[in-house]
Amino acid sequence: MTTTYLEPHLTREEDGRPASPVPAPMEVTVRPGPALLAGIENGPSLAAHRRQYGQIPHLNGKELHALVKRMQVRGRGGAAFPFAIKLETILKGSRPILVVNLSEGELASAKDHALALTRPHLVLDGVVATAKALRTRKVHVVLPGERPGAAAAMRAAIAERSDGVNIYTSTASSRFVAGQARAVVELLSGRPNLPATTWAPEAIKGLNGRPTLLSNGETWARVGLLVLRGDEEYASIGTDEEPGATLLTMNMQGSVPIVAEAAYGDRLRDYIPHDRHGLPAMVGGFHGAWATWETLASAKVSVNKMRAMGNALGAGLVLSSPDCPVSLTTRTVEYLAGQSAGRCGPCFNGLPALATALTAVHDGHGGLERVEQLSNLVVRRGACAHPDGTVRLVNSMLSTFPAEVEAHAHGRCDLKAGSRELVGDSFTRILEVA
Amino acid sequence: MAQVLRVDWPSCEARGLCHEVLPELVDLDEWGYPIVKGPLTKELMDHAKEAVKVCPRLALRIVEGR
Amino acid sequence: MESLGLEGPILWYLNRSTGVVTIVLLTVTTVLGVLAIGGRPAGRVPRFVTQAFHRNVALLSVLLLVVHLVTAVLDEFVEIRWWEAFIPFVGSYEPLWVGLGAIATDLMIIVVVTSMMRTRMKHSLWRGLHVTTYGLWALAIGHGIGVGTDMTDSMWLLTVTCAIAVPLAAVLRLGRLVIDRTSASSTTPGGLK
Repeated sequence: MTTTYLEPHLTREEDGRPASPVPAPMEVTVRPGPALLAGIENGPSLAAHRRQYGQIPHLNGKELHALVKRMQVRGRGGAAFPFAIKLETILKGSRPILVVNLSEGELASAKDHALALTRPHLVLDGVVATAKALRTRKVHVVLPGERPGAAAAMRAAIAERSDGVNIYTSTASSRFVAGQARAVVELLSGRPNLPATTWAPEAIKGLNGRPTLLSNGETWARVGLLVLRGDEEYASIGTDEEPGATLLTMNMQGSVPIVAEAAYGDRLRDYIPHDRHGLPAMVGGFHGAWATWETLASAKVSVNKMRAMGNALGAGLVLSSPDCPVSLTTRTVEYLAGQSAGRCGPCFNGLPALATALTAVHDGHGGLERVEQLSNLVVRRGACAHPDGTVRLVNSMLSTFPAEVEAHAHGRCDLKAGSRELVGDSFTRILEVA
Repeated sequence: MAQVLRVDWPSCEARGLCHEVLPELVDLDEWGYPIVKGPLTKELMDHAKEAVKVCPRLALRIVEGR
Repeated sequence: MESLGLEGPILWYLNRSTGVVTIVLLTVTTVLGVLAIGGRPAGRVPRFVTQAFHRNVALLSVLLLVVHLVTAVLDEFVEIRWWEAFIPFVGSYEPLWVGLGAIATDLMIIVVVTSMMRTRMKHSLWRGLHVTTYGLWALAIGHGIGVGTDMTDSMWLLTVTCAIAVPLAAVLRLGRLVIDRTSASSTTPGGLK
């Protein structure tokens, strides 16, 4: 049985930027799962959590490191960076600071949102256990700016606790790039929540020059689960190469996002709702890549395998597209261009230009050459990977749907449901095929 | 590790002096921002140091990397 | 103190002439700093040439300032002790006007030293200190007018030209800035700094 959560209504400020093709969710459906999402029907309270998991066992830094290394815990923020390596770097430094990143600026994703509502204490146990292992008392939790229900739930959970660790909360801005690691450090430093140049990784020199272990909320929850339940149970699901499970968000424009937990090695298609079978999807997030239904149908939930086939799991988002992927990509790139921090010339000039060029292709006016030229111009030229991720999405559209792109270039859009002639910027349905 | 010329993008204001003194390594894009074309070679090191000094925003650094 | 024969007019002329040329050079370098620096494309003269020119004119003015100070101290026609070149208002001869010059000299030292160390300090700090060149220039002009005892018509013309040049350049730069900002905000949605 699934639970649906409602967000309090948030009126968005009118700032003239293009809206996200998928707005921040008003509701989230969370399905019970085998690991993190086990027992969510008992509610998110600390009491229920302790009844299910008991107290946090004590581990020192070395023990924790060995545990996360053996279980190959990887970051769930999108990059899948091995947590053990980050921890190793932190252990070499002194006076570390821990940061829980729950900002989830990827509006179509809802997994961290779901965790805040259903399993906040797994997240907090993970970071508190690590704090104690590292003998530090400084923990920051960065809450989402666009999901007030999730933020409130997290605050309530923090208020229930008394671990002997100082947990400070901050709220991220609504901008897409606000969740980027350095942008978070900037926020915690009292500066605008935007990316800045890093001359050293956060784990070496982060907040206030101190080693900073910054990880996604779900990553901390995995660590928490591992510490509370041990490696045998953790590895009882998943594969040998990839023990454990990961959260997925299945979303589609106009639908309520569904968050479910998939063990590594499961078939991805088993988690995609039946009414979306046959549809292509954007996998990973707005900085991810497109996949045809054939690709999705044959995919196994796996960091390594999906990366190898060019559809990295990223933040675990599967955004099904009932309409033209060229259209959704164009709208997404327009949105992403407006989300630039406005700090780096190649980005705040190049992304809007890319959006314009892509719109021209979509409307049947433009040249793909300009899209390619701009794509090459913006990558690796900025303080963060926002342009790179945007180009990844564009390139995946071009390589996955060459026929559709070609059709648009000739002023047409061929969809599954029928053939549409482009009239100026709007569509007119000509014939419908059952 | 090799040495590279790295741009501090938020500081860069497309003044273009780096391209003027180091055109072998630095091109400018259509908005005036530098495109670093490759790694730093020994021959270009002196000019690269000049480029670092000449930037009015101190937006260039020579660092280890690729 | 035995007379070094330093009462004759040569020191006086040297002091006056270096004073005038220093003010002219300061005006030129300040105008260059105001107008040539900024986000515009380079035009015919490469930016690094303009930058070097700005720096070299400034250094030349430092050189002339040194001569100006030395001649002022050595000249025994008026009593100016060496420390009055740096500490304002403590002297007997025209303490106010000489004092303005002293403050300008102090600012000059700060600006030159920080510019030599520019790559080793925070850019915002360097920038903040460098902006004091406006004050430096204004003090030099004021010093020149106040202490100048032989303002001929041509001298007045020169002084007025210099006095107008920097504010005019500043207004032009401000105007350019306003134009650039308004045109930028009307185009790119993400282009807000």
